[in-house]
Amino acid sequence: MFGALYASEGSSTDALVGVAAEFSPRYEVTGPRDVTLDLSGLARLFGSARAIADELQRTAAERGLAVRVAIAGTTTAARLLARGSHHAITVIDPGGEPEALASLPLALLANVTNEHSNVPNVPNDPNVPNDPNVPNDPNGSNELATFRKWGLRTLGDIARLPPDAVAARLGQPGVQLQRLAHGEDLRPLRPAVPEERFERALDLEWPIDGLEPLSFVLGRLMEPLAAHLDRRGRGAAVLHVRLHLVTRAVHERALQLPAPIKDARTLRTLALLDLESHPPAAAIDRVVVAVDPTPARVLQFSLLTRPLPSPEQISTLMARLSALMGEGRCGSPVAVDTWQPGAFAMKPFAPSQPPSPGLRTAAPPHRCAVALRRFRIPVPARVRVEQGRPIRVITDRRGLAGGVGTNSGTGSVARCAGPWRTAGNWWTKGTWERDEWDVTLSDGATYCVFRDRGTDAWFLEGVVD
Amino acid sequence: MSHPAAAVLESALRARKLDRTLTTALQPGKGDGLVAPTGATALDAVLHGGLPRGELSEVAGAPSSGRTTLLLQVMAAATHRGEIAALVDTFDRLDLGSIVAAGIDLDRLLWIRGEASSPPDRAIERALKALNLVLQSGGFGVAAIDLADAPSSALSRLPFTTWMRVQRTIEGSETACLIVGPHPIARSAGGVTLSLGGASRWAGDADRSRRIAGLDVTVRVVSPRRRVEGEVAVAAEFA
Repeated sequence: MFGALYASEGSSTDALVGVAAEFSPRYEVTGPRDVTLDLSGLARLFGSARAIADELQRTAAERGLAVRVAIAGTTTAARLLARGSHHAITVIDPGGEPEALASLPLALLANVTNEHSNVPNVPNDPNVPNDPNVPNDPNGSNELATFRKWGLRTLGDIARLPPDAVAARLGQPGVQLQRLAHGEDLRPLRPAVPEERFERALDLEWPIDGLEPLSFVLGRLMEPLAAHLDRRGRGAAVLHVRLHLVTRAVHERALQLPAPIKDARTLRTLALLDLESHPPAAAIDRVVVAVDPTPARVLQFSLLTRPLPSPEQISTLMARLSALMGEGRCGSPVAVDTWQPGAFAMKPFAPSQPPSPGLRTAAPPHRCAVALRRFRIPVPARVRVEQGRPIRVITDRRGLAGGVGTNSGTGSVARCAGPWRTAGNWWTKGTWERDEWDVTLSDGATYCVFRDRGTDAWFLEGVVD
Repeated sequence: MSHPAAAVLESALRARKLDRTLTTALQPGKGDGLVAPTGATALDAVLHGGLPRGELSEVAGAPSSGRTTLLLQVMAAATHRGEIAALVDTFDRLDLGSIVAAGIDLDRLLWIRGEASSPPDRAIERALKALNLVLQSGGFGVAAIDLADAPSSALSRLPFTTWMRVQRTIEGSETACLIVGPHPIARSAGGVTLSLGGASRWAGDADRSRRIAGLDVTVRVVSPRRRVEGEVAVAAEFA
């Protein structure tokens, strides 16, 4: 047994939902003024269906709502009757839906079809009023328009058509509209699930200062939160930590997690590592931990490939490394769209599972490529040039060309090649223009050196290694 | 032939993973499970498959001897096998162009960049901590630390237990740990030491056509306990 509430114009949806929630946990919001609810089992509490309908209307009136109530054996019939009936309360015994719906106008189907994805959809056209008492033209649905052209005006007219003839002319959408006109449900009720909050808070008797005592508090909050996530099959996508300080300020941190995580220890470690880098300014007297939930991961491991560390392990490792080395200094390198020497970007380290050995591409032919060790800050050098070519390269840097601790002594150049002129970014502030040389010194070390054409200064860019 | 009692004792020590105190040779490993191939066929042949996993190996040499080239080659081979690799770049020297030219899968490389401007002692200390974090995390096929530009004085100031701790961390794991330095630093008994010597190969005689064509690297493999000593030449080309 299902009931439908249809509120008058201007009514609050929340108030209507509140009325439905008082009677049944299984209710569906089917429109801004339209709620359908499952009334199974309420007869033992209130008595007959009529008594339930009376109680629904009385409760709505107490909340200042004027509603029409309909009770029927199907949600479709209840909804159509609540919208189309002229009575405040309509109660139909199971099985009597087709007769009860027969006199209702055809236009009502336009509102119902919006809720069924596999039925021709009627767009929310401003020309199509929601009030079924106002004659309307469902010109958004071809099938409904066709029914009108055939001279059909009520649901009973459609219901009486031979189903095979409707199927032959209008196909499956026409048949579904006819089933709706009979009051049949095309899908079960979809109960609204109240939004669940994954949040825990703890008021501290005494303010705490420092991360060590905070770790115990976080652990105490994370355990039930992780258990809650686990029960609901969810993982944390974003972890929010709000620390209410004794100064009345709120220190808030949000951690974007690379993968859904529901492990309490991992969440606590990540929160602590982040707070190590961004500590609160004063003692804490209230701790709130909340997560934005997301469906938990389902992993299929392979017997044939070496397993990667779990996202929890990688997240923790990256957080620890970032705390140690600094933000943006750990991750995977990414090439950037520029010719500027040495340009690169970093992105979070998030390796994917490798393909199984059978699907892996064949190994590329072996080709060992010479590597360059690049000085991020070019090393200033003193270069002696004769006949347009460098003949001596000396730096003050220990262990580098001609410097202390090298075998090149005077830094004399054994062989060199160049110059190769490069320039770029002349349209921005980061312009460069230089002549590049490759030089091998007498100790065998090969360097890339360049002369900045703007300043006429020489620098070591890197060493071939 | 050794005494039967000594053989029984050695096998008992090996069973309890206490065989590091032995002076007898370790059995060379075979297969991907025990070694991490370097990707250089000739070198892998000398190493009986590659660098031993769960051990601390070293690449040592002077500037332009091919240390970084070999390091990137090992990493490229690891990422191509579907493994993930980590490089602790103590002085932030890695060049993206070289990484790409080596054929490393960038998504599978964890690059931990130190600060070039830091004092060497501090940079090395942080790099070692980062290496320990990576090794403790586990799951990496190859983890390397680049100390090639570290001053010898700073390296000599490291406590002698540093590398023993690293060795203990990876013992029994599937990670091949690699140190790149100016000279052998850790001298781990279980790992191998690759001493490199290299010379730039030039092409072209005329001023305008002269260029560096590549690097001729000679790798001398030293490992007292693994019986993998030998010397092999590896040629590297400019991309």
